[in-house]
Amino acid sequence: MSDPTLLVGAVAYHERVVPIWEVFREYFNSKGLPVDYVLFSNYERQVEALLSGQIHIGWNTNTAYVRARHAAGGSVRILGMRDVDSDWATLLVTRRGEGFDKVPELAGRRLALGSRDSGHAAILPLYYLDREGLDAAAECRLTRFDTDLGKHGDTGDSELKVLRAVADGEVDAGVVGAPLWASLKNKADPLVAGLEVQWRSEDYYHCNFTALDSLDRAVGDRWGQALLSMDYNDPGLRNAMDLEGVRKWLPGDERGYATLEEAMVQQGYLE
Amino acid sequence: MSTADHRPAAPATRVVDAGDIEFGDGLEILLSTVFQAAEPGQTIDVATSSRATALELPGWARSTGHHAERDWKEHNGHGQRFVVRVRRGDAVPILAPDLPPRGDPMPLRLGSQFHTTDLVSAAPERIPATARATRGLIPLGAVPEAGGPDYAWRLNSHDELWAEDLTDLTERASSSQWDATADIPWNEALGLPDQVEKAVAQVMTFIASNEYVALYVPAKFLPQVNAAFVDVLMWLASHINDEARHVEVFTKRALIGGERGYALASTQMSLHSLLEEDDFSSASLLLNVLGEGTFIDLLGFISRNAPDAATAACARLAHRDEQRHVHFGISHVRRSQKLDPDSTRQLIAAVEARAAKLSSLTGLSPVLLESLTILASGSVSAAALRQGAAAVKELTGLMETNRIRRLRAAGFDRETSRYLSELHTPNLM
Repeated sequence: MSDPTLLVGAVAYHERVVPIWEVFREYFNSKGLPVDYVLFSNYERQVEALLSGQIHIGWNTNTAYVRARHAAGGSVRILGMRDVDSDWATLLVTRRGEGFDKVPELAGRRLALGSRDSGHAAILPLYYLDREGLDAAAECRLTRFDTDLGKHGDTGDSELKVLRAVADGEVDAGVVGAPLWASLKNKADPLVAGLEVQWRSEDYYHCNFTALDSLDRAVGDRWGQALLSMDYNDPGLRNAMDLEGVRKWLPGDERGYATLEEAMVQQGYLE
Repeated sequence: MSTADHRPAAPATRVVDAGDIEFGDGLEILLSTVFQAAEPGQTIDVATSSRATALELPGWARSTGHHAERDWKEHNGHGQRFVVRVRRGDAVPILAPDLPPRGDPMPLRLGSQFHTTDLVSAAPERIPATARATRGLIPLGAVPEAGGPDYAWRLNSHDELWAEDLTDLTERASSSQWDATADIPWNEALGLPDQVEKAVAQVMTFIASNEYVALYVPAKFLPQVNAAFVDVLMWLASHINDEARHVEVFTKRALIGGERGYALASTQMSLHSLLEEDDFSSASLLLNVLGEGTFIDLLGFISRNAPDAATAACARLAHRDEQRHVHFGISHVRRSQKLDPDSTRQLIAAVEARAAKLSSLTGLSPVLLESLTILASGSVSAAALRQGAAAVKELTGLMETNRIRRLRAAGFDRETSRYLSELHTPNLM
């Protein structure tokens, strides 16, 4: 009989990924679903491993998911995502009192973006600003902070550099994911004390567990059900779920990735 | 989240007007209070005069387990305000039952004093007779949250650690603190003749050595005591604090006049055997009742016969502390024997085992006897020495009598008390 263990890939963007997956692995095993995890240093390698069958499931950023779906000709399915992934958004911030009423007023100004492979800090901001009437790539002076490439913005490092650049007056505005901004504001971080949100993008989906359609449907369903059954009020899971930034797992679907796919096509990320 | 131009027809469960307060300036506290009071699934309209705050609200909602559903702008007499409708999530912020309703205030005594005895007796939670070995560092009366790590306490039975006057003794320890730097008239110690100073330095060195073990024994047990027994912890901590000061004051007195004393091997042997005792009650008998008990007589002797006021003050202040420790030991050992008659056998065995280890010690070191005699004489003249020698002889007898008296008070019969007193280390501690 072949080994029934499902291999789940995750990118090691931080030391906490190990304790998270030690708890999650134990949880799935206790549900009769043997799981082991494989860590990658970047999402491109993880997507390759998913496509070549080296892993069964990939814990992907939205950018990695779109790339995998594109490469697999659409033959992928989503097994779940975090609650926080279901209404992610990008914020545009300026120094306090230097705001604007309409996005096009930013034309000719200096705008900072995060890592170019980050959906929320680079690709989608350009896309949504364009929909608001600002072709930022052409009309603004862009400063890109391309740090931690391959991790698709998971580390938050490039967004912190964006905020620092705005605060220091090196640029006029910058983009940042709503969750990072919320965590900085909630702890009254001095970095954001002099900054102000001027615009919020539409909501879009972020990370998800991606599998190829070739994964046995029933196995995928059982795994997804077990994921959705994780209880934030279970003391054994709470710390790991807090580290992962999830209170409730949701089924997830393709709908929330349409704009990103369009943006990635427009910006030349998909061949 | 959907954006609209006007308030939706269906009203929210509650409306909060946040005015112009921002995240990081207290808005998160205001919202936390409001959302904790709401039921899962209920909706709350949060109104703000700040567009920036309205744009931040969905991110705050998600990061705290809620969900922003829609937003709109409203105009009133003062201008426009932004409203975000948030649905409360179902995650409980703390994995514990709700805090009970406010109870009665704690009792105070005259002079606005809040005694530890009253804290322990009036707290909404009793100190348990037996505590879970895995219990965390949970203060008395606190409601513990699930999910903390397991601890592994060794001492989990309150009876095995307690004594009847425990909280009163702790209270007295707190109110009798003194300062080894400022409360001793140190200048009085200067200028003694060489031989007298040398004798004092030797006696002080001996006492300081013994105070070390009185420090290490309770310090060894404290981290083994289950954190549920806050009364025991406070007592042991006060004991440790007292002994640290004794080490300090006797070391200072030993060295202040420029002389130095020996740390005798016989003393080290005796103290080492005491530190090896792993049973709390046996250690209490050996240290508190027998060792510190005998030291009470020694310190009393020094405070009466010291050649200078500084040495007398050191002994007097330490004597006051040691009385509490001895009181605890007698009370604890007596109670242990009453609760478990078998423990008497175990306590006797502990004294016998230690005596067996110290069989090579035949009496108080001659160096120490000589020093004590000169200390009590105040000079090396023949007349003074005769008087000093008589006083030391009297002290030895007093120690024996009082040791037996304390053992009797601790619950041993007359014969056993004599026997245990004879087995006690010639090193005194």
